[in-house]
Amino acid sequence: MRKFRNFIRGLFEVYCREFKLVLHDPGIILFITFLPLAYPVIYSLIYNPELVKEVPMVVIDNDRTALSRELVRNIDACDEARVIGYAANLGEARHAMDSHKCFAILEIPEGFERKVGRTETSPAVMYCDMTLLLRYRGFLVAATEVMQEMGGEISTQDLNRIAPLAETIAPGDLLPINNVSMGNIRNGFDSFIMPGVIILILQQCIILALGMAGGARREKSSLIGYNPHNNSRSVFGTMTAQALCYMTLLLIPAIYMIHYVPLMFKFPMAGNVWEEIAFIIPLMLGSIGVGFVFQAFVTERESVFVSWVVTSLIFLLLSGLIWPRYDMPPVWRALSDIFPASWAVEGYVKMNANGAALWQVRSDYLMLWIVAAGWGVLAYVVQRWIVLPSIYGKKKHETVGKSAI
Amino acid sequence: MRQTSTDKTGAWAIMVRSMVQIVRRPLLWVAMIGLPLFMFLFVTSMFEEGLPTRIPAAIVDRDGTSLSREVTQTLGGMQMVHLTETPNSYTEARHLMQEGKIYGFFLIPENFQADLLAGRAPEITFYTNMVYFVPGSLLFKTFKATAIYTKAGVAMSVAQAAGQDPETAAPLLQPINIATRAIGNPLMNYGIYLGNSFIPAVLQLMIMLVTVFSLGQEIKYHTSVRLLRMARGSIVRAVYSKLLPQTVIWWVMSVFMLSWLYRYNHFTMQGSWLWMILSELLFVMAAQGFAVFVFGLLPNLRLSLSVCALTGILSFSIAAFSFPEESMYPAMSIFSWLMPVRYNFLIYADQALNGRDIFYSRIWFVAYIAYIVLPITVMWRIKRFMAKPVYAP
Repeated sequence: MRKFRNFIRGLFEVYCREFKLVLHDPGIILFITFLPLAYPVIYSLIYNPELVKEVPMVVIDNDRTALSRELVRNIDACDEARVIGYAANLGEARHAMDSHKCFAILEIPEGFERKVGRTETSPAVMYCDMTLLLRYRGFLVAATEVMQEMGGEISTQDLNRIAPLAETIAPGDLLPINNVSMGNIRNGFDSFIMPGVIILILQQCIILALGMAGGARREKSSLIGYNPHNNSRSVFGTMTAQALCYMTLLLIPAIYMIHYVPLMFKFPMAGNVWEEIAFIIPLMLGSIGVGFVFQAFVTERESVFVSWVVTSLIFLLLSGLIWPRYDMPPVWRALSDIFPASWAVEGYVKMNANGAALWQVRSDYLMLWIVAAGWGVLAYVVQRWIVLPSIYGKKKHETVGKSAI
Repeated sequence: MRQTSTDKTGAWAIMVRSMVQIVRRPLLWVAMIGLPLFMFLFVTSMFEEGLPTRIPAAIVDRDGTSLSREVTQTLGGMQMVHLTETPNSYTEARHLMQEGKIYGFFLIPENFQADLLAGRAPEITFYTNMVYFVPGSLLFKTFKATAIYTKAGVAMSVAQAAGQDPETAAPLLQPINIATRAIGNPLMNYGIYLGNSFIPAVLQLMIMLVTVFSLGQEIKYHTSVRLLRMARGSIVRAVYSKLLPQTVIWWVMSVFMLSWLYRYNHFTMQGSWLWMILSELLFVMAAQGFAVFVFGLLPNLRLSLSVCALTGILSFSIAAFSFPEESMYPAMSIFSWLMPVRYNFLIYADQALNGRDIFYSRIWFVAYIAYIVLPITVMWRIKRFMAKPVYAP
């Protein structure tokens, strides 16, 4: 009983002192305030226009008929494309494209209208710049829409002309086709990428903050201006207390990120906010676990930048936002499976955008807890047998800890 | 950083000292060689297939007639789609989508065949989960194609019912055809699209971080005084000689990157290798110049690293690799032009992807030069802080 009371007291002392340590380290403060508060806003602002509209293109019209002009007008009327002018020939059009003035060339061959009159398929070609897929996608959508709409009109006319009876069988559009974009109804880029990125930012700021705190313990107190050591008798107690401290500190930033950032930028918000909070708790615990393990590799405070920042990109690619997880090469799929952010991104996006309830993402949630537990165990092993001995040598760390408290 | 016990002065001595510092610091091996190499491999192998195929999807067949089964078969035969589930209702399909088991579904309404034959124009609707942009867009394309085929088949039978023979009726289905030609990346390979921008951006991030880190270390451990003495008081000599060995390592990495992308992975390379190599060499120096400039403005190790990390990571978005710069808010798009990697990307697009004349890329090369010259403006500040090093955590 007494032992247990000591354990709790040690835990409480470490918990309280950890707040002081965090407040003494401007680096950690930056990671748990600026990073979660400002980063999502900056990111969202970059993509906030959501749609790529009115991408410039030029036209080479070798036909110069009513129909070819109608085609150009219809493409220009599409949201995605804007015709900035006519070019006399391919050379002139290429010059415009090479000078970065336009990103596509529509070439209408001579005899375009004549072929339609002969009820043949009349071809036109659109050359697209492939630097950015979003621009290409816009041109493709515009071309397909116009092709269908004009094609539909022409074929109805033709059909009526060749077979007057057809009108009685099928008046107008025979088979209307609808499509609905779920989750992200406007097909916006910001609404697609940001909810996932928010989760990645949350994981990264936890790991960076813990990494820096671990680095500080290896620095001379005289250099950093405060005593960074904070241990109780029990390694487990120390880790629990520190984890609780970071959970406390990050609770408000986390709620801000998963609820208020989507609110500010009008991202999809179909989920239940309480379920979402429940969902990200294992993410935060798992990230703390990764942070404890990462401390084994941090030899000084600032090295976290050099060794960890680039992993944000790795996690972005592993999260399945860009390339779906079911189709990843097995090695990367396995790597993706062992980090909390991958499961969290998947589950959070389903809840936030597709309106899934917590029970519907139960498999992600369960995996998140398993991954968090796994990292917790690994963190204990690493702290107990690698990190602490490497900082305090053979000297018993608890005595150091005691004097530090 | 530990001092090397040499009292020699001059540029060469500083370079030797800088090399020893790199050799003694495993963190720098990881940052300069390990991580970049891993990222080269990681990014290209992630997108090895080009595009995801066999995307899990479903068809809700509320009709259950020969025609609706025909549609199901057509859809099932498409390369992009893998019909994994057979939900019986819209609600069921929607739940499957919420649970992430499918990325989209195709809905055939009740009485589809009967309505169609009676000319009551039934509607086909398909749903795609646009929360996942790539699979969502690919499914959209496939679903749309299937719907159009179905429609064409129907139109064909109407024409036949009205007494037309199939040969004359066929062109009626598609009177106009706009063929899109994707220049340089005809198969829409995701590796070509993202690898060419992400990998140099990784390099930029690491170059900036390592540059600032190694300069800041001198101040943190108060070795900068000695560095200045070795440079005989010339800050330009001190900084340049210190960074030159790193430059050489980055040059090797960047040329390797080029061969990795365009030789081993056979990414589109329509232009001249010479210009691409020149671009990479200048890019390395531009990124270093940017970092030295940041360090000059904020000679605090942590703050300058924070700024480099922030700008380096934001580069992936702000340098407009996926969302075009002209579509951003004007106030944001300015920042797009502030990152060296933006010019690397533009030169790649001009030279490697599109094989344009170098004339069209001339301005991007000038931008590199500007970054390389930029640090000159802050040298005096770096000197002041190096002469009296103070470490602020």
